[in-house]
Amino acid sequence: MSARGPGATLPRVVAAEWTKLTSLRSTWWAALASVVVSGALTYLSADAASGDPGYDPLGELTAGLLLTQLGPLVLGVLAGTGEYSTGGFRTTFVAVPRRWPVLAAQAVAVAGFALLVAVASVVAAVLAILPAASSRDLPVNLTEGSTPWTLAGMVVFLTGAAVFGLAVGALVRRVVPALVTVIGLTLVLPVVLTLAVESSGTTFVEGVTPQERAVNTITTLLPSGAGGLLVTSSDASTVPGTPDLGAVGGGLVLAAWALVPLVAAGVRLRLKDVK
Amino acid sequence: MIQVQLLTKRYGPHTAVDGLTFTAPPGAVTGFLGPNGAGKSTTMRMIVGLERPTSGTATVNGVRYADLSAPLRSVGTMLDARSVHPGRTAFRHLMAMARTHGIPRSRVEEVVGLTGLESVAGRRAGTFSLGMGQRLGIAGALLGDPGTLILDEPVNGLDPDGVLWVRHLVKGLAAEGRTVLLSSHLVHELALCADRVVVIGRGRLLAEAALGDPALGAGSLEDAYLRLTAGSVEYRAGAVDGGTR
Amino acid sequence: MTSSPVTFPRVLASEADKITSVRTPWWTVLGCVAVAAGTAFGLGLFARPGGGATGASLVVAGYVLAQLGFLVLGVTVGSEEFRTELADVTFVAVPRRLPVLAAQAVVTTVSALATAALALVASIAATAAQRDALGLPLSLADAETVRMLVGFVLYQTAIALVGLGLGALLRRPAGALVTAVTGVVVLDQFLAMNPGRFTDTVRAFLPGTGTRLLTGDDRLAALDAASSGPHPGSWAAGLLVSGWATILLVAAAARLRRGDFA
Repeated sequence: MSARGPGATLPRVVAAEWTKLTSLRSTWWAALASVVVSGALTYLSADAASGDPGYDPLGELTAGLLLTQLGPLVLGVLAGTGEYSTGGFRTTFVAVPRRWPVLAAQAVAVAGFALLVAVASVVAAVLAILPAASSRDLPVNLTEGSTPWTLAGMVVFLTGAAVFGLAVGALVRRVVPALVTVIGLTLVLPVVLTLAVESSGTTFVEGVTPQERAVNTITTLLPSGAGGLLVTSSDASTVPGTPDLGAVGGGLVLAAWALVPLVAAGVRLRLKDVK
Repeated sequence: MIQVQLLTKRYGPHTAVDGLTFTAPPGAVTGFLGPNGAGKSTTMRMIVGLERPTSGTATVNGVRYADLSAPLRSVGTMLDARSVHPGRTAFRHLMAMARTHGIPRSRVEEVVGLTGLESVAGRRAGTFSLGMGQRLGIAGALLGDPGTLILDEPVNGLDPDGVLWVRHLVKGLAAEGRTVLLSSHLVHELALCADRVVVIGRGRLLAEAALGDPALGAGSLEDAYLRLTAGSVEYRAGAVDGGTR
Repeated sequence: MTSSPVTFPRVLASEADKITSVRTPWWTVLGCVAVAAGTAFGLGLFARPGGGATGASLVVAGYVLAQLGFLVLGVTVGSEEFRTELADVTFVAVPRRLPVLAAQAVVTTVSALATAALALVASIAATAAQRDALGLPLSLADAETVRMLVGFVLYQTAIALVGLGLGALLRRPAGALVTAVTGVVVLDQFLAMNPGRFTDTVRAFLPGTGTRLLTGDDRLAALDAASSGPHPGSWAAGLLVSGWATILLVAAAARLRRGDFA
């Protein structure tokens, strides 16, 4: 044992998880979907908006983000649940009996891969706004003002979505419930909450009601709301009655969404038998 | 009786089964042999209609499987012990199968007894060992009391008792005049329970003969098998990379 | 040979046995009912006099989140066979194959109808106090109310069948569920953020249009005033989502008939 050094060091476990992740076909499908959706939807939005009088090409950069996050989310969930649904965990945990390094390594591998996917998706979005901008002879300068921060925020948002998916997947361990949880929290619950504001029927009247404040605060604290703060330039008007967290605060909330279930999954791994 | 005639299955450029012709007669156990990837499972899946042949035919008692009005009554099939829902109990799994043919509950209880699953029939199939899964698969095959049985690797994962039990079971079924087609990698085991063998390699027929037929040459069935398949093994330990595919 | 052939009622009995003998569908049913009633109650807390809510709109308000559960119900029935390789056993017993899908459609329809009806009753109970406090009656003599309550049940059932079609067509629960949620919820949301003649037209033909069945007349009028696409009537919108379910089931049947189970 000692003659050849420790067997399963963290870098080696990460390398093994990376191999597993990139050898899954679903990983590449999700990656491809993310990049294609980002490019296509941003292009369509930019094209539609380019007729507006006050058209700002850079304003359309984040237009496809809502749907683009579905790719990294699914990628994360499938990576997190894959071990359990195929029984592959038996081999994995025999190789790494302490178990939690596997989870940590999975998180590192998924975050690394998702970072690449996120960069590719953001590049696709940037390329997608160029045709509409050039048709109006408007310059696209990515280094000015808050644009670099928006681009960085998009990358962090998409990478965070993948780690969030992984964390829920690893905690719930079953594909369908994990997907429902993740999609419900990021995409459907915000719709429900907008209905809540509508049914209070006071949006245009006396300013911000306590109910509205509550709803908007919850919306902001959901993963997609927190992620949204990452890509909103600070000078943009904030939603009435929401805590002003700023991009950093939004990033921290998103990180909490990923870390809390990840830690819970780690605890579950330690405490319970793998069955 | 199972008759396979000029059966061919192509997946794109790859030919899995190539003009295969053989017969499994009633009253005998026909052993189905071949290296990994030879096309045994694909052939069995085509016989029971799970995969469509590219060309050729496979019939059971002269009828295409898909045209049987009560297939489980004619043919009992066990292809893969994992073909169960892990959350369903063994008994309910068999019950759901039985309902498609109006097979009564008493028959389900009977096959549970025949296969020694009484004590675990109420357990969810996901908790089964490979050997128990095999027994459940065999129970499913026996459900319709069929005249023909198609069993893919039935002794995989069974303990020595189980192997002996399958050996007696299939010999007994053949002695009752039924047709049994049984694939296995375990040549020794087939030498003990088969009356005749069909050997294939790379989707083609290499030999079809009764055990002890001079066509198989001198020596044991294993010697004959290794000699016949020498040129058609796709995956062999230690082989140099870049072989056949 | 004993004469006991495979008949459709027998295949149906088998599929009914399958859905009731595993835990997942029961949890899904429970989830649908709890989420529908819970959301309706939660949203009811925000309703205020003069806010445009009606008795019926309060009751059906849980549909947005609950439809996820109905999608899961259908997707699970459609794809579970293939995920667990049980398909081998099923189609060896029923080699004509199509009766299995037809039986799954019947089983899904019945369980979705029952679940939606339960969810509706639970939502009526959950919002009773709120409706009283707001003075919003729930009168079954009112055609609009009946249309919305019945619409809730029919819409969720159609959505479950959309899930079944996608599950049986794609044969993978994850892929089918993501596709279904995208088509039913997310795409609509995205298009709504980019209003225009083209996007409004596309929205009108997505399955989510079926929600018009359970949307009040006033709200429909407001939506139509803001949309430059076609404005299908409530029942036409219901037919449209049924059309989606039919197309997907026919595509699944075509794949089932011709394909292999590899």
